[in-house]
Amino acid sequence: MTILRPPVSMFAEALERKFGSAVSRSAEDLYLIEQPEILPSICEFVFWELECPFAGLIVEESEQWELYYVFLLPNCGWANFLLRLPLTTRNVPSISSRVHAADWYEREAEDLFGLYFEEHPRLGDFILHDQVWQEGIAPMRKGFDAAAMHFEKRPQRDWRPTLVVRDPGAFAMPVGPVYEGGAGESIHFLLETVGEDVIRAVPRLFYNYRGVEKIAEGKSVDGVLLLSERFSAKSAFAHSLGYCLAVEEICGVGVPSRAAHLRVLLAELERLRHHAGVIDAICQSTGLSVSEAHAAIIEEQLLRASCEFTGHRYLFGLNTPGGLRRDFENGAVKVLLAAVDAASTQLARLEERLRFSSSFLDRLEDVGIVSPESSRDLNLVGPVGRASGLRRDLRRSLPYCGYGQYEFDVPSEIEGDGYARLRVLFAEARQSARLIHQASERLESGPVCAGLETTAGTAMGAVEAPIGAALHWVRLDHQGRIERYRILSPSFRNWLGLHVAVEDFAFQDFPIILATFGLSAAECDR
Amino acid sequence: MAGTALLLFFAACILAILVSALAPTSRFVMRWFGSLCSMSMIIAAAARLATGQDFHVDLWTLNGFGSLSLHLDALSAIFLCATGLVYLSCCWFAAGILPGRRYPVLHFALMLTVTLILVAGDALTFLLSWECMSILCFLLVNYHQDADSTAGYVMLAMSEAGFLAIVLAFLILAAAASGFSFPALRSAAGTLPVSAAWGVFLLGFFGFGVKAGLVPVNYWLPRSYTASPRAFTPVFAGITLNLGIYGILRLSGDLLPATGIGMGILALIVGSITALVGILYATTENDLKTMLAHSSIENAGIIVAGFGAFLVFRSSGNAVPAAIALTASLYHLVNHSVYKALLFQGAGYIEDATGARDMDRLGGLIRFLPVLSVVFLIGCLAISAVPPFNGFVSEWLTLQTFLRSAVLPSPLVKIVFALCGAILALTAALAVTCFVKTYAMTFLGIRRGNGKPNVENRPSRFSLGLLAAACLLLGILPTYVIPTLNRAVEPLAGASATAALVPPFFTTTDSNQQLPPAFLHDFHNLGAQTGSGVIPGRGLVILLRGSEQNPVVFAMSTAYSIAALALLLLIVWFAVTRLTRQRSVARTEIWAGGIPRLLPEMTYTATGFSNPVRVVFQAIFRPNIVEDTRETVAVHFRTAIRRRRDETHLVERYFFNPIGGAVNWFAKLLAGMHHGRLNAYVGYVVSFLIVILFLYRLA
Amino acid sequence: MSFWPWHGLRRGIQSTRYPDAPDTAAGISPGRPLPTEFASAQQAAEAASICPVGAITAVGNRVEVDLRTCVWCQRCRFGANPLRWDLGFEWSRSVSDSRLPGAFARSLHLMIVDAGDCGACLHEVKQLNNPLYNMHRLGFFLTATPRSADVLVVVGPVSENMRGPLLKTYDAMPDPKRVLAAGTCAISGGVFGRTFMSAGGVGSVLPVDLEIPGDPPPPLAILHGLLVVTGRMHAAEVL
Repeated sequence: MTILRPPVSMFAEALERKFGSAVSRSAEDLYLIEQPEILPSICEFVFWELECPFAGLIVEESEQWELYYVFLLPNCGWANFLLRLPLTTRNVPSISSRVHAADWYEREAEDLFGLYFEEHPRLGDFILHDQVWQEGIAPMRKGFDAAAMHFEKRPQRDWRPTLVVRDPGAFAMPVGPVYEGGAGESIHFLLETVGEDVIRAVPRLFYNYRGVEKIAEGKSVDGVLLLSERFSAKSAFAHSLGYCLAVEEICGVGVPSRAAHLRVLLAELERLRHHAGVIDAICQSTGLSVSEAHAAIIEEQLLRASCEFTGHRYLFGLNTPGGLRRDFENGAVKVLLAAVDAASTQLARLEERLRFSSSFLDRLEDVGIVSPESSRDLNLVGPVGRASGLRRDLRRSLPYCGYGQYEFDVPSEIEGDGYARLRVLFAEARQSARLIHQASERLESGPVCAGLETTAGTAMGAVEAPIGAALHWVRLDHQGRIERYRILSPSFRNWLGLHVAVEDFAFQDFPIILATFGLSAAECDR
Repeated sequence: MAGTALLLFFAACILAILVSALAPTSRFVMRWFGSLCSMSMIIAAAARLATGQDFHVDLWTLNGFGSLSLHLDALSAIFLCATGLVYLSCCWFAAGILPGRRYPVLHFALMLTVTLILVAGDALTFLLSWECMSILCFLLVNYHQDADSTAGYVMLAMSEAGFLAIVLAFLILAAAASGFSFPALRSAAGTLPVSAAWGVFLLGFFGFGVKAGLVPVNYWLPRSYTASPRAFTPVFAGITLNLGIYGILRLSGDLLPATGIGMGILALIVGSITALVGILYATTENDLKTMLAHSSIENAGIIVAGFGAFLVFRSSGNAVPAAIALTASLYHLVNHSVYKALLFQGAGYIEDATGARDMDRLGGLIRFLPVLSVVFLIGCLAISAVPPFNGFVSEWLTLQTFLRSAVLPSPLVKIVFALCGAILALTAALAVTCFVKTYAMTFLGIRRGNGKPNVENRPSRFSLGLLAAACLLLGILPTYVIPTLNRAVEPLAGASATAALVPPFFTTTDSNQQLPPAFLHDFHNLGAQTGSGVIPGRGLVILLRGSEQNPVVFAMSTAYSIAALALLLLIVWFAVTRLTRQRSVARTEIWAGGIPRLLPEMTYTATGFSNPVRVVFQAIFRPNIVEDTRETVAVHFRTAIRRRRDETHLVERYFFNPIGGAVNWFAKLLAGMHHGRLNAYVGYVVSFLIVILFLYRLA
Repeated sequence: MSFWPWHGLRRGIQSTRYPDAPDTAAGISPGRPLPTEFASAQQAAEAASICPVGAITAVGNRVEVDLRTCVWCQRCRFGANPLRWDLGFEWSRSVSDSRLPGAFARSLHLMIVDAGDCGACLHEVKQLNNPLYNMHRLGFFLTATPRSADVLVVVGPVSENMRGPLLKTYDAMPDPKRVLAAGTCAISGGVFGRTFMSAGGVGSVLPVDLEIPGDPPPPLAILHGLLVVTGRMHAAEVL
């Protein structure tokens, strides 16, 4: 079922009618905002009235501040709203009160660039934790040397968390950053409660922040390719694909068709394996050991199949701007297809058995509910968003690598509870298997890589990573080096929505809800 | 001997009152005169229990009322002994934290009236001293002018209502008797018709129940205990609560004869429900003193439930189970006085040191108050019925009594017993929860309040140590307490509890006729004669013998278990220290997942600990939760969430609010009469006159 | 209602027999580059230049590979001058005397700390619990608290925000304890290197006892590392 959306021209006309000359269109997808004061109204209008999801905020520092507010126009690209401010100003009007999905982007910009977003009530202590870093460092600014370690860190010794629940019997249970049997990612939660229910859950992330965007600056295209793969390994192929798409667009290179089909095959292989891993985590969190063992076997066999096919279990080292780095024989493709079929059959069997395990379903049904309104409000993406009624998939709305020619469904549910997310994961795994078969059938002989000449320019590569929509913004300078690399990762967006699901449910449900979201701290933290 | 001791007591007490009224506040008077008075109480009681001779003296004779007399019998002696013990400790405790100048006067006056109540030989003395005691309690509760004074007034009002009921009960009895003395009333009670007997029982039960703290007349208790000064609360809980039980025991157990089963069943049910309601509110309460007050309600419920079982067994002719039930009830009463006084003293010291009573604001006191933490732990263990302390023995005996309901004929009664037994078992479990929470939140963990505690007023080691030692001894040596209690139990129940419960293992096999040789032999093999040459007495095992098929119905020995446990612990400690000699212990900070600091607000609070109980029993609590959220910018950003919980006590909801509402309604109705119209008033007078003349005509 | 015990039993035993028997299933390890002889020095230099992180150095006709900095991009495997490739997985290298006392040989408790990891190394360590590897049969267990941990497995280049918690975890472990650095990022910082936000490897924060190269090291390589720490196997020779 396709939903008709207004094409780009109608979008531009609606803007013109409402705001007149305050917004001028300077390029196909670029709108200049002349006066900073109307920024919140514009964003509110675009988000709520025109129903365009907010994709992220990109901050660049050149001769002036350039703030790009990226909105996705469903089925027809995106719109970047550019606000230019002189470098001397630090104050920017905040849009978080109206577009709640922008909350964390503004906090990130404040921590990394030192910009102050007026009326945002909770700036500070976001990426650079207060107990380690002092205020005012702003590492993403041009003058800051990434390799320098000489500055002083004066940590705040008497750090106290701000607690929201004011009840004499309330306490905040700390979870992490080292927890979950030591086999979980480093995340810190403060679960405020009065005993049974979690009243407020505040996640504290960025323990895995490695400054990828900063160390990418000045590197060659090839060097940043390594970074784009390795900042989040479970979606390594998808992120490197996004980066390559951006670079290919800047350099105006078309990818050969064999490479495009192989890219689809590998991306769906990664999605299948990733979803098997999330299903494994869900079964583990509910304690149903046999199903967890089965799911773990499926995932391990997919990892082994990936390794046999490509030489690396997590599909590192395959993408390159212009296509793929190497080719694959047909025999190897057949072996991979056999493994994928085996995995699909076993997943289907697992799903069938789980449907009849009432003790398992009791932990998932009606637990961790994200309503469609909250989902839309906070702009959740990927299987989490699709389980709450948001049928958004970049493979459909902005088809890349030839996805437009493939036949596949985008599964979605309405309830938004843990079981809905599980069903969406199983359904997407089925669709991935289907796509892998279609991709292998469409393989023709030919080259897998087109040569690339780097030029200066800017582009955005958008892919549907296993966790959700990921956007990579790349700016190349005249020597072909990266001037700015910005990753708008799907986990960053979905982590914002976790607290909606966790609040007002019992403590025991917290690890299960966390597992059903299937989020990655490494992908969010970069 | 008993008489001399009593005389000494009265003299010392009156002297103490005079001295403390005239001379300035002196700890010396409190300590030493208090000790003298308490010791003379104990000696008088001990003398009566040892010799078995009742002490009687007639005081003055009033025209038309009979003579005021004092009569010390076994039941009074037991109460007197317990009271004396608790008073001994509390005098030293109160001397340490005297609230003011007038306090010793009131203290000794209360001591005097309490003793008069216990040794009263006739109803008049009893009632007069009771009223004085009520007034003194009121004065003591409202000692601090700035405290919650409505608590004292509510207590006074309910005490007076109870007193009215008691007076009516005694009047009904006295109407059938020739005088007010207890023997006269006793013989008159045998001739009462059933309805009158029921009337006496109900009025007495609920009248004395006010002081004892029974549902539904215990509304005043938590508030008064919380509002009373620190020096008085241990006395309040340990002594005056006993007076209510004494009244019930005297009236329904002693004066009234053993009639139908109904009275016993009523006492049983009321006692069980009281126990459950008390412990439920105690578990979810965060204020130390209020929590202990609710716990006192629970214990009073257990005592009264045991008493109810006694009445049922006695009236159905099973004397031995009746004796066991009454023994259990009296034992629990003595235990409760001791450990509740101990806990209240502890709470008083905690409040003195930290200025806080709310468990959510306390924590980590074990580092600052080490002695108190040990003693408070003993108190908590005792009240949670953990062996080897005294609470275990009495709760165990009470529950075993309920199992003895097998000998009763009627199945309905057996069902009631089973249900009440289940309720009491539930209260025992909740009591453990409650006191684990209390101890952990107050003493263990991280300190939650501000500043260091003020440890200047060091706790009186004598007062705490005496009660703690009593807790331990009463638990380890039940086979000595039971024969003592038996002096009072045997005349009332008609069977000897000692003979039933304490087999004479320490005497030699040959001369022992009571136990079959095979039985004796088996138990000697188990070690039941250990200590026979060294320790005096009949034995250290409590055991109820049954029929041929079931030789042992129940058996227990805290003394042997604690000895065995101590031995095992010693062996284990020895082995562990041997095996780990080469190991070194490194101390680092608490592991909390890697966060920078573990703050007090990240540790479990008392509310959080008791929340499951609150949630499970929500139907009883029916709280109104008000959740306020204050938003700054939008729904997304919240700065504060305030949650307020309002609860109306069960008794208030179902008993007082309806009655109050009915009274208000009726009063409004009557208020319709006062409208100020003179003509109507004249009409009232005329119509009333006509009615009077009409009635006069008829008569 | 699904009868899970039956489904589990039907599946049978899936575990590998390693270390009792070698495991040669396809896909268990990406393998590693080996030092290779080339025909000429120029060819060797070309082969060395393909490495994006400079892990391959040409010495005359030979190329040497530094596994501590190799990021497993596999360009040297499939490039113009491919290196020799070994499909094994026993690569762990002792840095210090890494063996634990004999009491731990069959009962070892691991604590894993994610210090800025990308997710791959962490996932590979977690795979050791799945039925195909099943480290429980060898007596290795994961624990949730450092108080009962013997071995600390650190993955990731130690981001600055995690430096404090990592040090606390190490301090909270009782002696005897060992630190394993699993993955290239943990050994040398990987592609992140030493920056304001990344300490460039665990070695600059904690004393490392055993290094397990790989990006990520496959589960069996980590298992081999654990067997080395318990003294049941020997470490690989220094390459």
